[in-house]
Amino acid sequence: MDTFIQLTVDALTLGSVYALIALGYTLIYGVLKLLNFAHGDVFMVGSFIGFGVLQLLGGTANPSVPVWLLLPILVVAAMAGCAVLGVVIERFAYRPLRDAPRIAPLISALGVSFFLANSMQLLFGAQPRNYDTFSLSNGALYLKGIDIGNVRVPLLRIITIVSAFVLMILLWFLVNRTRTGKAMRATSFDREAAAMMGIDIDRVIVFTFILGSALAGAAGVMFALRVPTTVSIGFISGLKGFTAAVIGGIGSVPGAMAGGLLLGFAESYTEGYISTKWSDLVVFSILIGFMIFRPQGLLGRADIRKV
Amino acid sequence: MSDSTPPIPDSQTPADGPAVGRDEWVARHQERRFTSGGRLGVVEERVRSAPWWAWLALFVAAFSLLPAVESSGYVRFVAFQTVLFMLLALGLNVVVGWGGLLDLGYVAFYGIGAYLYAFFDSDQFGIHLPTIVSVPLIVVAGALAGLLVGLPSRRLAGDYLAIVTLFFLQLFQTLTTNGDSVFGHNVTGGPFGLLNVDPYNFFGHDLAIEHQGVFATSYLYLALACFVVVYIALRFVDRSRTGRAWRSLREDSLAAEAMGMPVNWLKLLSFSFGAAVAAFTGTLFAAQSASVFPLAFYFVLLITIYTMVILGGSGNQAGVVLGAVIVGPLLEMLRDPGKSRVLFFLALVGGMLLAFRLSRRLAIVGGATLVFGFAVHELARAIEGSWVAGEKASGFQGAIDHWVIAPDHLARWIPPVSYVGVIAAILLLTLVRGRLRLALLPPTLYLAAFVWENVMLPKPEPTRYIVVGLILIGLMVLRPNGLLGEHRVEII
Amino acid sequence: MASLLELKGVSLAFGGLTVVDCLDLHVDEGEIVSVIGPNGAGKTTLFNLITGIYRPDTGDIALDGQNIVGLQPHQICGRGIARTFQTLRLFLNMSVKENVMAAAYSHTKAGVFRSMLRTPGMRREERAIAELAEQRLAFFGKRLMGYRWDQPAYSLSYANRRRLEIARATAANPRLLLLDEPAAGMNPSETHEITELIGELRAEGGYTILVIEHDMHVVEGISDRVVALDHGVKIAEGTFEQVATDEKVIEAYLGLQTHTRK
Repeated sequence: MDTFIQLTVDALTLGSVYALIALGYTLIYGVLKLLNFAHGDVFMVGSFIGFGVLQLLGGTANPSVPVWLLLPILVVAAMAGCAVLGVVIERFAYRPLRDAPRIAPLISALGVSFFLANSMQLLFGAQPRNYDTFSLSNGALYLKGIDIGNVRVPLLRIITIVSAFVLMILLWFLVNRTRTGKAMRATSFDREAAAMMGIDIDRVIVFTFILGSALAGAAGVMFALRVPTTVSIGFISGLKGFTAAVIGGIGSVPGAMAGGLLLGFAESYTEGYISTKWSDLVVFSILIGFMIFRPQGLLGRADIRKV
Repeated sequence: MSDSTPPIPDSQTPADGPAVGRDEWVARHQERRFTSGGRLGVVEERVRSAPWWAWLALFVAAFSLLPAVESSGYVRFVAFQTVLFMLLALGLNVVVGWGGLLDLGYVAFYGIGAYLYAFFDSDQFGIHLPTIVSVPLIVVAGALAGLLVGLPSRRLAGDYLAIVTLFFLQLFQTLTTNGDSVFGHNVTGGPFGLLNVDPYNFFGHDLAIEHQGVFATSYLYLALACFVVVYIALRFVDRSRTGRAWRSLREDSLAAEAMGMPVNWLKLLSFSFGAAVAAFTGTLFAAQSASVFPLAFYFVLLITIYTMVILGGSGNQAGVVLGAVIVGPLLEMLRDPGKSRVLFFLALVGGMLLAFRLSRRLAIVGGATLVFGFAVHELARAIEGSWVAGEKASGFQGAIDHWVIAPDHLARWIPPVSYVGVIAAILLLTLVRGRLRLALLPPTLYLAAFVWENVMLPKPEPTRYIVVGLILIGLMVLRPNGLLGEHRVEII
Repeated sequence: MASLLELKGVSLAFGGLTVVDCLDLHVDEGEIVSVIGPNGAGKTTLFNLITGIYRPDTGDIALDGQNIVGLQPHQICGRGIARTFQTLRLFLNMSVKENVMAAAYSHTKAGVFRSMLRTPGMRREERAIAELAEQRLAFFGKRLMGYRWDQPAYSLSYANRRRLEIARATAANPRLLLLDEPAAGMNPSETHEITELIGELRAEGGYTILVIEHDMHVVEGISDRVVALDHGVKIAEGTFEQVATDEKVIEAYLGLQTHTRK
């Protein structure tokens, strides 16, 4: 039972990170119909921005700002940095290809992903970077927490999960309740028709990249609060992220959240009860299962073939 | 309606007239292109009209003369590796160029071929099949594996296939890396793979990897022969009803289906074909290197092969071979700082020649860049002598470092700032026009040279791949049809 | 004798919108039948149903007495139904001749391995396909002949693209040819030519033809029988004169005249 609770908390943390990444994929896929392969690397850059800012602020052992302010600063800095990165990628690698064949921006995205990962390795090397969150106020974030049964859920976990969910709710609100959100939905439904209705498509796309990349940045920091980050996490986290998006139904915002959590649970339980080695296999099986039995995903809609 | 014998449409003169107008002018644009060039034009015409097999023969002949000219084992090995790249590019071209599918698991099939060969021909399971048995078996297995992976995504759009195949690549990594303890059995040898894989053997004779300690050319010639066979076989398929059907479904899959072509089956077929070629190439790799290990078949290789295919012109066989011949040795040269320094400055000069031709602007920009460089260099020397420490080096490096600042020690903040700065400057250059662009060019070029010399050259490993990534992005944006791919009209 | 094509009670709805509603239709061997109706009447959807791109919710579609519902589009083409598209769907980057040759796929056999080896049988078949393509293209006189064979399809004029679509459809050796607005976007002389051509197609090629057309002159010129659709329902059927004077048809095209006048 204790293991189960522990694994569930783990699953929620991991799942919310995946969900945040998946949201970026889904949003960008929605408006551009593009699988942004570089998204995972934006996430990785986010985790490094968090690390860099943390070092600038004096590191975890002796931070120059109070702890309650430190974590938000890291997240916001990563979000801002990634947003800029996302906009630059869109402007220079995708926008010139908007009317090219479908496969062109996909390949460009692969190139961007490869470029980002290797540039980061060039500049920062391959060694892992540890935020060392345990040193923050003498381990209070780990030692304090909520007790469920015999298990103490550390404060840091709770903060991570809650803030991820707050971000998701904010996003849901933004997409469903604001004018910009409406423009995004219109664009994802039919880009040309939306343009003719007076929606500035370029602005919507840029905004979507800001949003998606910022979420990836936040996810990057949340990820790195848990385990050390390296320049190579982008590939595998990105892969999991868009698997989550596809499982949830690509293009669907609640779907991405559901898919992310589902993956988090699948991975966490596999690692806890079976073996850490084979979680990829389980996730792949889930993906294949969805491809065969429910290709539109959990919450996606089946498309009518247009002729 | 005409009930009588149908009139030959020849007689319909009114509609025949306009047909020889704009239409024909457009249709004959190709003929007009080469009527200008005098003696050179004749040569060009000859070269262009040479049949494909002449090109192939010429290419292969030149390639096989290489060992006669160059006795270094390293160069021969690079040549062999390039032939492997050529084979891989040909296979990927079937999937991406002809089938129009984004197969991101392609190198996993290469890995499957190599691992299967290691299973069939090594001490791992104590099996030592003759090559003429094991290789055909592996090719079939590769094709079947391709079918299996393609199957779940056959009804789905390209994006889904991309995800499933990319995940498949990841899974292949996980399985081979962790395959050293499957219920206690060591199957794949784990992260370090399997060693002592047999060389190819024909009728009881091993094809030796080395000859007196130097790379044996037999593998180069064997690979080259395989390349010729694969090239011709694939070319014949392209010129058959299957090839036409592939092209049709890439153009308009719905129309192709309505015209009687089984689109899903054809896509699977191309997928499986690519997988078979990759698996076959894998056996060559395993036999020659006598080992297999998971990281030989990863994302890096995938992107490299994609770059070759895109650079040469996806869909064009000769093009993708050219792409492999360019990118393969390029990556090899970038390993060596000396060579990559020369390459960089050659690329710089070549790029400027391409952009400006032999014009006054070239002279202005070139001169300004040189002057700017020397000025900055002198300024740096005046401030702090150790900033120009690089000029003590000998040869080309020393000469270059009389122009580029090369400090003996870099502060920690310099690499990230200068690297991001040069990228920002290059991106900015694409946004501005006219004089401003000309004015910004010299400092940008100088900064690029500085970054290349001080930040990138010392670390060849990421640098090589950054170059690959840049080629890929640049190509997609500037010339998506590659070097030899024909220009395509897209239906909107 | 049974009809070549027979639809019985075919319905199709997208979500809540019924596009084709319990439609009965038959086309006899050797007939030219025109389908008319205002925009959104379900004409093109009817073609998509017949060719298997959509699957009807209810009802049967039979070709020569055999049910073809549930078959894949390429299988239906193999059984002998070929079509053209209202919005041209040529293989634009392929040459004119290749466009036509590609459509011979369903009635040719050479597999991949035979193609790799260039067996004599495969080469014979290739020659036959090329001849077939040339013959189909020759049907349109000089327009698609000679140097045009090797030009990409995108270099053709609009009218020539329509012709090429017809040539491509006939290369599939169909028994039933579905033409979706063959005269759309053509000038009067080209329209006139198309009208003649559809007659010739039947006379020379022996095809049975089902055609969607808006131009009433074309419809009048070619049809043995006319079927009028409105909102997915068949509202009239008969000779051109019968249908053209049918009150429901006039109503569908022009609105409720009798009421608006009062």
